Amino acid sequence: MRDRGKSLRLERVSKRFVREGQAALAAVDDVSLEVEPGELLTLLGPSGCGKTTTLRMVAGFEQPDAGRIYIGGEDVTDLMVYRRSIGFVFQNYALFPHLTIFENVAYGLRVRRLPKATIRARVGQVLELVGLPGYERRFPDQLSGGEQQRVAVARAVVVEPALLLFDEPLSNLDAKLRVQMRGELSRLQRQLAITTVYVTHDQEEAMAISDRIAVMCRGAVAQVGTAEELYRAPRSAFVAQFIGRVNLVESRVLGVTGGHVAVTLWGASLSVPAADGYAAGQRLSLVLRPESLTLVPETAKAAEGEVIVPGIVRGRTFLGEKVEYAVEVGGALLQAVTYDPTRRGVVEVGARVGVMCDAAAVRLLAAEP
Amino acid sequence: MRRDPVVAPAVLLVWGAVALFVLYPLGRLLVLTFWNDGPSLDAVRGLVGDWTHRAALVNSLLLAALVGIAGTVLGFAFALLAVRANLPRWVSRALDAVVLLPLISPPFTAAIALIFALGPRGLISYHVFGLTRVSIYGLWGTLLSETLTYFPIAYLTLKAVLANVDANLEDSAFSLGARRWRVFRTVTLPLTTPGVANAFLLVSAASLADFATPLILAGTRFPVLPTQAFLQITGLYDMRGGAALCFLLLVPALAVFAGQRWFTERRGGTFVTVTGKVGAVTRVKSLSPAAVLGLAAGCGLVVVLVLVCYLLIFAASIVRGLGADNSLSLAHYAHVFSGGLKAVRDTLLIAAICMPVGGLFAVVLGFLVSRTQFPGRRALEFVAMMNYALPGTIVGIAYLVAFNDPPLALTGTAFILVVCYVFRYSLAGTRATSAVLAQIDPSIEEASASLGARRDVTFRRVVLPLIRPALLAGMTVLFIRGMTAISATIFLVSLDWSLVTVRILEGITNLELGQASAFSMVVIALVYLAVFVASLAMRRLNAGSLGQAGTLLGG
Repeated sequence: MRDRGKSLRLERVSKRFVREGQAALAAVDDVSLEVEPGELLTLLGPSGCGKTTTLRMVAGFEQPDAGRIYIGGEDVTDLMVYRRSIGFVFQNYALFPHLTIFENVAYGLRVRRLPKATIRARVGQVLELVGLPGYERRFPDQLSGGEQQRVAVARAVVVEPALLLFDEPLSNLDAKLRVQMRGELSRLQRQLAITTVYVTHDQEEAMAISDRIAVMCRGAVAQVGTAEELYRAPRSAFVAQFIGRVNLVESRVLGVTGGHVAVTLWGASLSVPAADGYAAGQRLSLVLRPESLTLVPETAKAAEGEVIVPGIVRGRTFLGEKVEYAVEVGGALLQAVTYDPTRRGVVEVGARVGVMCDAAAVRLLAAEP
Repeated sequence: MRRDPVVAPAVLLVWGAVALFVLYPLGRLLVLTFWNDGPSLDAVRGLVGDWTHRAALVNSLLLAALVGIAGTVLGFAFALLAVRANLPRWVSRALDAVVLLPLISPPFTAAIALIFALGPRGLISYHVFGLTRVSIYGLWGTLLSETLTYFPIAYLTLKAVLANVDANLEDSAFSLGARRWRVFRTVTLPLTTPGVANAFLLVSAASLADFATPLILAGTRFPVLPTQAFLQITGLYDMRGGAALCFLLLVPALAVFAGQRWFTERRGGTFVTVTGKVGAVTRVKSLSPAAVLGLAAGCGLVVVLVLVCYLLIFAASIVRGLGADNSLSLAHYAHVFSGGLKAVRDTLLIAAICMPVGGLFAVVLGFLVSRTQFPGRRALEFVAMMNYALPGTIVGIAYLVAFNDPPLALTGTAFILVVCYVFRYSLAGTRATSAVLAQIDPSIEEASASLGARRDVTFRRVVLPLIRPALLAGMTVLFIRGMTAISATIFLVSLDWSLVTVRILEGITNLELGQASAFSMVVIALVYLAVFVASLAMRRLNAGSLGQAGTLLGG
């Protein structure tokens, strides 16, 4: 199909909700975002972070208190929902219960007063696309959750919207179906090349389908980037903790030498590759992913670029392809993961071990005020 | 700020209509009462000086309280029997059918029947017991008639309340060692208290507003406000006095209305015992067999009384003169379908116009109030409810005051009758619409908007089909009320446009009870037919039974 993606731009958008008897609550606070044509951007965050409100403002269900929204360069902030050329997929699908599947999908086309023959052809085509041919005459309540989900997607894309918006579309499905459906959604989105904004609180789902992810926290965008960027180089403790699992260790800058920063780690010194902008004596956090901490024998000696600290194994979860450990180091518990335990062996709870950290895997995080 | 291009004009239209046909007449009524070339309390002072009017106020309040108590007790007994006695299905169906009768009957029905049964030459009082000195006229007759007419309101309210009390709660009291009477006293009764209070206020309000029964049965020694206001205007041509009497009636009516709203806004007058978690279905065992027997006997007696009343009306309609000349005759029906045909036709025509107009008004109002945001939304909801909540006599006199002279000389036209019904009886449809909309996720409408549909297109293609049951219920109520109303419309009829209920009243005042009975039978038959058709249609819409429509008729 032809490329019909349009860009989306949010410019300093804010929204407050006023509840009776309470101070106004900033649901979305000064959010700016840009989505490229054909791109799938996910808004990811815990509940109440403003991601759904942001999406609903893009759709036009909510009116921003400040800021502008542009679709394909056109300012749509003051445009009613029905003039925005969007497709919206709701968490509960919101299929029209009194209409058949055919009429549900045809709804947007009928509103646009397309000729009957065109409507029939396009509905048939799109039902084929989502894998539901022959479902035309059924009613929504005769379909399973996954099937209703597909109808909702078909209904949204059949009008060839400039923008496709998903509001936690998979949260009502069971775990297995969720994984399957997210693959299908991703395939469909790429095939149609519709610019898409996708809201979810599930980081795995976000990482699986997104071109880029915008992590939101308390109404603001904390960081935007590909899944890999967010995992490798989080710019805040919140992002580090929300994307994947992490150990945050307090540290201090000892010195800066071209391209490297020397920091303290467990009383030792470690030289970490880093950008400019650090000064000796500065407090910061070290981002240590569990898989970059290796359990070694207590007596092992650290090589160049490594730090080893003694610890005691306090907990162990065997998960087949990996073992997750909780290791007590200096009074704090660290998470460590060992892959392929069959080959590498398993350490008992209570064992004294060395925890080895490789400088190459360490990321610096300026301490937040 | 962007504006919805459809909602704002719709709101303005509804506000305009409500302002013209609710606020304006009431304002005119108050002005007439308190303004006589300047602020004046003369009209009210004149009333207080008159024994009849002082008595009317006291009598109205006394009657309302007594009918409230009697109706609530009777309704509670019926509700207990229906919900807690494990009756066979057909028995509870039959119970509902009989109880529905008084709610959808034309006014005067119980009153005429009581005259036949217990009047000076009554079938029961004179022919069975040989009593000659009983008087059905006055407080006791009115009380009995109004209780029989309005206890179904309490029954329908309390039935819903009792059904909401989870039988598992009673079970847990049993499991803690309580006996039946203790469980009833300490669990069942306290849980239904708000509902009982609500039922009492509803029945009291109905009695306070009742015009037809006291007109026939109260007599001169027991004046009440609605009839006094009517007589003041139609007998003495004293508009100002009538308006002042209306004001006296307005105060307690508003108090009862406010109290009733206060109770219902505490979650529909019930404690929330429905937790969303479905408890094990348990057989209700809170009534002992003896208690069930007692209730059944008591309620059975009332059912028999109601049925006797209707049988008497039927009998009176097919004999020459019940009690005097008991030979069969279709003369009364012949009259209905000759001289009375115009009234039947007019009534049907007006009811038929009211149904679509009022139904649409009801759903649009319900939609605006529960699904859109605009300044003054709560105020609109309240004002739109006023004509429904106020006694019909007040509304009728207010309309008479407001619309009798140019530029709005509308009394006596079909238009004003339709308007009166629409603003008085659409509320059931509005409430049903709100209830149905509460079940529909707003995302359904958002989905329609996201697919390019304007608000009005969404309303027509998505909302309207989904609230068809509410529309149907609202239209049914409008039809029934259109066929049976009298209190407000008696001030608005003319030679051009007459109503069956007015002909019934004329029949009674001219002592042609047979004719009145025949008219009543025709109305009852038409209304039952409408209810039957509506329940068939409702079943096709696959949404609830007559029981639901029935609850909408209360009040």
